[in-house]
Amino acid sequence: MAQCGQDPPPRRAQGRLLSSQRRCSQEDLTVSVVFPGLVTRESCCRFTCELLKHILHQRHQLPLPYEQLLGFSGKAQGSEDAAKKRSWTEELGNRQCKQTLSDLEELLGQLETLFAITPVPRVLLLLGGNPVNPKELYDIDMAGVSVGNGEQSLGTRPCLRQLFHALFLADPFSDLRATSVLSLVVMVQGQRQCGTDWFKPKLNYKVPSRGHTLTVRLACTDSPAPEPTSGDYIWFQAPVTVKGFQN
Amino acid sequence: MDEVAVDLKQALPNVYNNLQVHVDVHQKSNSPATSQDIQSHVMQLLNRHCVVFGDYSWTEFDDSFLMKNIHSISIADTELKLKDRQPIDLSKCKVLIHIFQLNEDGPCVESLEEENEDLVAANHWLLPAADFHGLWDSLIYDSEIKSRLLDYIETAMLFSDKNVDSNLISWNRVVLLHGPPGTGKTSLCKALAQKLTIRLSYRYRYGQLVEINSHSLFSKWFSESGKLVTKMFQKIHELINDKEALVFVLIDEVESLTAARKASRAGTEPSDAIRVVNAVLTQIDHIKRYPNVVILSTSNLTEKIDVAFTDRADIKQYIGPPSPAAIFKIYLSCIEELMKCQIIYPKQQLLTLRDLEIIGFLENNISKLSLQLNEISRKSEGLSGRVLRKLPFLAHALYLQSPTVTIERFLWALSLAVDEQFQERKNFSENI
Repeated sequence: MAQCGQDPPPRRAQGRLLSSQRRCSQEDLTVSVVFPGLVTRESCCRFTCELLKHILHQRHQLPLPYEQLLGFSGKAQGSEDAAKKRSWTEELGNRQCKQTLSDLEELLGQLETLFAITPVPRVLLLLGGNPVNPKELYDIDMAGVSVGNGEQSLGTRPCLRQLFHALFLADPFSDLRATSVLSLVVMVQGQRQCGTDWFKPKLNYKVPSRGHTLTVRLACTDSPAPEPTSGDYIWFQAPVTVKGFQN
Repeated sequence: MDEVAVDLKQALPNVYNNLQVHVDVHQKSNSPATSQDIQSHVMQLLNRHCVVFGDYSWTEFDDSFLMKNIHSISIADTELKLKDRQPIDLSKCKVLIHIFQLNEDGPCVESLEEENEDLVAANHWLLPAADFHGLWDSLIYDSEIKSRLLDYIETAMLFSDKNVDSNLISWNRVVLLHGPPGTGKTSLCKALAQKLTIRLSYRYRYGQLVEINSHSLFSKWFSESGKLVTKMFQKIHELINDKEALVFVLIDEVESLTAARKASRAGTEPSDAIRVVNAVLTQIDHIKRYPNVVILSTSNLTEKIDVAFTDRADIKQYIGPPSPAAIFKIYLSCIEELMKCQIIYPKQQLLTLRDLEIIGFLENNISKLSLQLNEISRKSEGLSGRVLRKLPFLAHALYLQSPTVTIERFLWALSLAVDEQFQERKNFSENI
């Protein structure tokens, strides 16, 4: 049912040829997805969260997908005896895992709150480095999305499926090298007066031009031409950085 | 009220007509207010207090907007320009308002060698950073070191703005601070970077401070060290390419990078070390074309540095141990801090050195403690800033050990700690 409007799988063959230069080249990949109708704000929030989890796993910051990790850490807490037997390195890994998961959980929760109080035209996931010059930049552009209320809009699940299908075809991760543990910063664009007290406004922030960039552009078919972001939008930074871990 | 203010204005001497007054406005990290709004509210505040005495800082406001959005408004560094604390009429000066928010994330690290990711080659801060907040004010020097550094950068910026041909008049934006250890050279570099980021915020969105770990640039592979230097500077190049960023490169203990090439001629240094010096020098020449970069370097051993490097440095500033007057100021700021934390209790007002001068060092009830502190300051001459800043801690640990002390007891302990410090030094030199 979903009409995929993504670009033809971009530069796959070329990418292989250039794989040695790839890392330093400023080549930008774009994955466009056009939804056949309106979507709700909650759906936009889900897209962001799922992309965040997916990217963390794909870029080797989480050893397993987020949901599986959650399941494991839940189980591990049940058996106290096992915890005693573990060596200190395992213990350390375990602690890191818990820290990362709790940071992520908080972040996801706060994203949900933020999406409820303000329209969000753009989200940046910045991996490594600092916010102004990250190693990798994931840009989720939702300016073209038309927001509808629950009844008019498409369901979240089919849209998610369409989004990940497009992502799968574009296959932006396979050419990237495995990296060491990095930290991830989330920047969200929102209305100046939205009154969030968790996200910190960064008035001087500018989207960096360096680093490997992947843009995920979401839009809707029957949307009127996206209004040039009217209203007073500024960047907000999530006050937690999610540190990856590997074991 | 207004009439009085006008009268007061006329009564004031009119000597600083074109004085620039910098007002630093520290915006709260959770405030989304626009700079225009803040500017207009700050101007309102300044209009109400149009005469100030020296540096002053407001942290409490009547205005609800300021209360919600602003941490502090400080009139900064007037004392660097005007020798004495004197009334400044803001309406007659050029008031420059700088609004900044601090970046609270710590430094991030850069590594060079791909296979050895753990080795940190550089620490990298986004300025203005919370780590360096207040550092500038805590550094106290006698002569006009701080204002000289600021003026120098201002001139460099002016020359870049006016497109002065750098082949005819060359300026390198390289600052070299040298002097004995513990005098705050590295801190001054960091503080200067922070200050300039705030001062120049109207033209640069943010500052970046890259602190290079010199030792990480030497490779275990022969002939690779020069390449590592080039690689390091390549990363810096990427930062400089962002025209909206002001980039500071801090090379601490620069003598380890540019140790004199003479030594290698004598055969005591491997030829790899020469390559490093050469690489650093050529890279600095490459960088100097860009207007948005400042290279800060420090050194304990000036004579060891390659002459070609010292030549390239525009400002070579000697930073020596503080004079008694500066020591007095340092102690005073320490004691004020301890009073704020209520370790010294009850709170007592101490006089500044200038106040003491005015009353001619006359001893009375008010000046007694300050005179005592002045005595200790004189005694402490020759100690470095680093030692001075830890003396209050040592005094407490060695002689007091109680949660609250009176100022008299504290001064007694401080005096003992100073004696101890000199005794320690003597023992140390005897044993060597």
